[in-house]
Order: sequence, then structure tokens, then C-alpha cells
Amino acid sequence: MRRVALIAAGLTRFGIRQATYRELIQEAGKAAFDSNKNVSPKDIEGFVLSSVFPERSAFQSHVACLAAESLGVRPRKLFGRVENMCGSGIVAIRTAYTAIVTGLADLVMVVGAEKMNVPVPTEAALNMITGLDRDWEGSYGLAAPPMFALSAQAHAAKYGTNEEQLSMVSVKNHNHSKNNPYAHFQKGSTMEQVMCSRMISTPLRLFHCSTMSDGAAAAIFASEERAKGLTDKPIFITGTAQAAHGYAVANFHRDLSHWPALKEAANDAYAMAGIGPDDIDFAELHDCFSIAEIIAYEELGFCEKGEGGKFIEQGLSDYGGKVVVNPRGGLIGCGHPLGATGVAHATEIFLQMRGEAGPRQVPGAKIALSHTNSGPGEHHILIFEKGF
Amino acid sequence: MEQPYIYILDPYPQQAPEQTRLYPFFQFLRDGRLTTSRCKKCGTLPWPPRVVCPECMSDELEWADLPREGKIYVYTVQETGLPPGYDPPVVFAVIDLANGVRLLSVIEDSEISEIKNGADVELIVKKVPQDRVMPAFRLKR
Ligand SMILES: CC(C)(COP(=O)(O)OP(=O)(O)OC[C@H]1O[C@@H](n2cnc3c(N)ncnc32)[C@H](O)[C@@H]1OP(=O)(O)O)[C@@H](O)C(=O)NCCC(=O)NCCS
Ligand SMILES: [Zn+2]
Repeated sequence: MRRVALIAAGLTRFGIRQATYRELIQEAGKAAFDSNKNVSPKDIEGFVLSSVFPERSAFQSHVACLAAESLGVRPRKLFGRVENMCGSGIVAIRTAYTAIVTGLADLVMVVGAEKMNVPVPTEAALNMITGLDRDWEGSYGLAAPPMFALSAQAHAAKYGTNEEQLSMVSVKNHNHSKNNPYAHFQKGSTMEQVMCSRMISTPLRLFHCSTMSDGAAAAIFASEERAKGLTDKPIFITGTAQAAHGYAVANFHRDLSHWPALKEAANDAYAMAGIGPDDIDFAELHDCFSIAEIIAYEELGFCEKGEGGKFIEQGLSDYGGKVVVNPRGGLIGCGHPLGATGVAHATEIFLQMRGEAGPRQVPGAKIALSHTNSGPGEHHILIFEKGF
Repeated sequence: MEQPYIYILDPYPQQAPEQTRLYPFFQFLRDGRLTTSRCKKCGTLPWPPRVVCPECMSDELEWADLPREGKIYVYTVQETGLPPGYDPPVVFAVIDLANGVRLLSVIEDSEISEIKNGADVELIVKKVPQDRVMPAFRLKR
């Protein structure tokens, strides 16, 4: 099978940006091309855009062509947009990966972009319910915070996972994003600040949540052969998998504290890469809410089922622990421009593997896992290995 | 049929016969009945109701009554950050009906401090804009 290398990556600052959707795309695209001067827009053969609801937030559809034109790219071998809610970025990368593996294209650019903040701020929350089963569940006003709060309640009832443990995830990720000039939040946080923050949906408080950020990220992938002429620091995708078990909350796994779709995807990805959870040096996990990071530790096999709360408590997901989770600050610290997040994971992995992550560098990083979810029932995974 | 523009784009389900083949669901609900589609071929009872059976692809479906009572599996009280048009607090709950069918709904018309995992609940008919209805639940009286 042809191998696929990550050869360039970059992103915009995430936050409440005074910039339009297409301006964010241009910023991220430039950052990716700036990261590897051997690649120019005219070389790009395939182009995949990850974006969730530009129709609502930028009043614009047909966005893949907009993005390509904005970046001077004229794709001819692969071209399109993907939308799988919060997991879209990894789905876009998998699309590029598949095209390269099959020989359809040798050089593919992936851009993830989202404008979350709109002139009427509360409308952002309304846009979010379009990502759930809007007819039968979203129409009650259900968006992601209460949906993940239900998993938190189930996990607390079954395993005793408590508010302190949920809060430790937030403090860790906010402290990591202090070292990330591209993050939405860069001030860090304390246990007290997290545990006294406003209640959103019991037991999740404001600081247990990711936030509505504008942002974009871009990454360029090449076949191993093509990569040889373009970089001496290739980073290979060695494993990847997805699984979806349900759309409506009603049809998730009956035990909401278990996310078997994630476990299934993780095991498939590990098998493909020929590694296990103990081999991962750092992980970019989808901490849309602190409970999601705790459940991900378990389903990814970093700890036993039900022990996720203890895993954070013992510092095992931080520097000096078993696996550094979310060194860039995660979605809680960086913010979560939906379509950009999975691509931003690749950007972080690009920096970490090359030893260019500055104060947040994970020492000796060689193998990394990237995970996004599109709700508790749908998960996407990539495993990257340093190829130099 | 003249409809205000917002009717088409607001978050609530379209319920009129001109809009959905599932309109009987909403008519039954107005009469206090909770129903779903049952497959005549394989007996599958999915939630939400369908026009094609997801298990065997049959389109020979009939309406079946669901129990009006169930138990709360888990719930959460959303106090802030709701979409516009939804007033806090909203109690979202995963409800297991007596026959095992599960749905997500809201608990209304109940003392929030008395809501517990495992509590018995019963169906109520929730009125939503433009004369539409949705299933909701309250603590069993
Ligand atoms: C948590 C949430 C409901 C808060 O929204 P809100 O109640 O409308 O809060 P606002 O946006 O008005 O923010 C108010 C303040 O809190 C801060 N804030 C907002 N979200 C925050 C967060 N997650 N963490 C820390 N601070 C936050 C804002 O910066 C703002 O601070 P300021 O007053 O100093 O400017 C909203 O951010 C949210 O829905 N997050 C989840 C996003 C999501 O579902 N993503 C998909 C996940 S799969
Ligand atoms: Zn059937």
C-alpha cells in the first residue's frame, strides 16, 4: 500500500475573530504554504474542505470552490467538501489519505474552516442544534452541552466520576493553551475558577465546555514518493479508522457512559498501525467537554474502563505522565471552530514531531493519535508516526 | 397553503399532511397517544418513526401505540447557554418506556428537585409554536 505523508501545516489564531470565513481560509492556507516552501498552490492536485455550517454562519454554500479559488489552487484529481459535524476535519484528512493511497492523487491539500460567531451571538447556539437530530431531539433545544452532560451523568452514576475530576481536565487544557499563541484562551485557569464557573448543563460548567471560536487550519499530504522531493521531515499516517453507531441520542449505546464506537475505531486504527495504546507519545483528543476527554482515555485504552477520572487525577495525561493529552490546549483551551478542529490536530502533530512546539514541546514525540467525535456515537481516528 | 417563512426554518418539526408522511404521529399525539411506526414484515419498532423499516427496508409499516409511561435513565438540567427561544431551566432526559423503547425528551410540569435517575414519568403533550405539538414527560402523579 502507498504510504501517505503530512508535509506542511498551519493555522489561524482561534477566537472571536474580526475576520470573515474566506479570510480565515486564506490565513490558514498561507500558513500551510509558509511551512514548506517547496510546495506552491499550483502544485496541489487535490483539495478537500472541511466545514460544517457556512450556509448558516457565512450565508455561503459551494465553499470548496470558494476556498480553492481563494488560495490559488486548481484541483483536478480530487475536489470536494466534507461535513460530519465536529469530526469533519479528520474525515477530510481521511478523504485525502484515501485518494493518495489509491493513486488517484499524489499531493492533496486539506483545509478546515468555521465561522462560529455571528452578528446575533445567540444564533450560534441555534446553529449548533442543526448538528443533532433536529426534528426529534434538537427541537427541544438540545445542543451539544446537554447531550454530553447526559454522558457525564451516566458516567458519574456508574463510576463515580466527580466534578473535581471533570475540572482537572479543564485546568490541564487551559494550562496547556497558555503556551499556545493560537489558542482562544491563553490565561490558564484554576480549580476554583472552574468549579465556581456558571452552570451550563448539570454537571457541566462553563469551563468544562469548549467554546464558539472562529478559525481555520490547513495541512498538505503527499504520497511517499512525492514527499521525498518536498521535505526531509515526512510524518506518515500509519493508522486510521472510523465508526458510527447512532445519530439520535435515543439510538446511542444504551449505556451512555460507554462509547463502543470509539473503542471499535481505536482498535481498528491500532491494528492497522501495528501498535497499541501504550505506544502513543501524545494525543490530540476531542475534549469538546471535559467528560469527553475522560471517556476517550478509557475507550482508547489509556486506562481501564471507568478509571478515566483517576487517570486525570493522577496526572497521567499530562507532561511526565503516561501520554500527554492535548498539548496545544485541546478544544477547551483552543476553542472549537467545528470544521477546523481535526485539521488543527494535524497542525499540532506537525509541529510536535518536528520539535517546533516551543514551550509545549512533548519530549521525544514519535507517535501521535488524533481523535475527533461527532457526538458520543460517532468517532474518527488518525495515527501519525515521525518518518525521520 | 400559505405559511409564514419562519414556519419552514424554525427548529420544530414540520407536522402538516402537506409536509410529512408522518403527520398521523402528531395527530395521535394531540389525542394523548404516543406512537411509532411498526414494520409489518419484521416487527421492528424504531424510534423515531420512519417511512421505511431500517432493519429490512420494507415500506409496509403501521402505527403502533407506545406505553405512555417510562423511567428516567439519566437527565441533565440546562441552566444557561440555551439556543434563543428556549427558556431555562430545561430538563433533558433519556426516557426508557415500559416496553424498552428509548427516547430523548424533556421533563416539564414537575418539581426539579424531585427529578431523579430512575424516577417514573408519564407522557404530556407539549405545545410548540404554530399550533404544533411534541411529546414531553412529567413526574408520574
Ligand atoms: C458553554 C456555552 C453554552 C457558553 O455560551 P454562553 O452561555 O452563550 O456564553 P457567552 O458566549 O455569552 O460567553 C460569556 C463569557 O464566558 C466566556 N466563555 C464562553 N465560553 C467559555 C468556555 N467554554 N470556557 C471559558 N470561558 C468561556 C466568554 O469568553 C465570555 O467571557 P467575557 O464575558 O469575558 O467576554 C457555549 O460556549 C457552548 O455552547 N459551548 C459548546 C460548543 C459546542 O457545543 N461545540 C461542539 C461540541 S461537540
Ligand atoms: Zn422490517
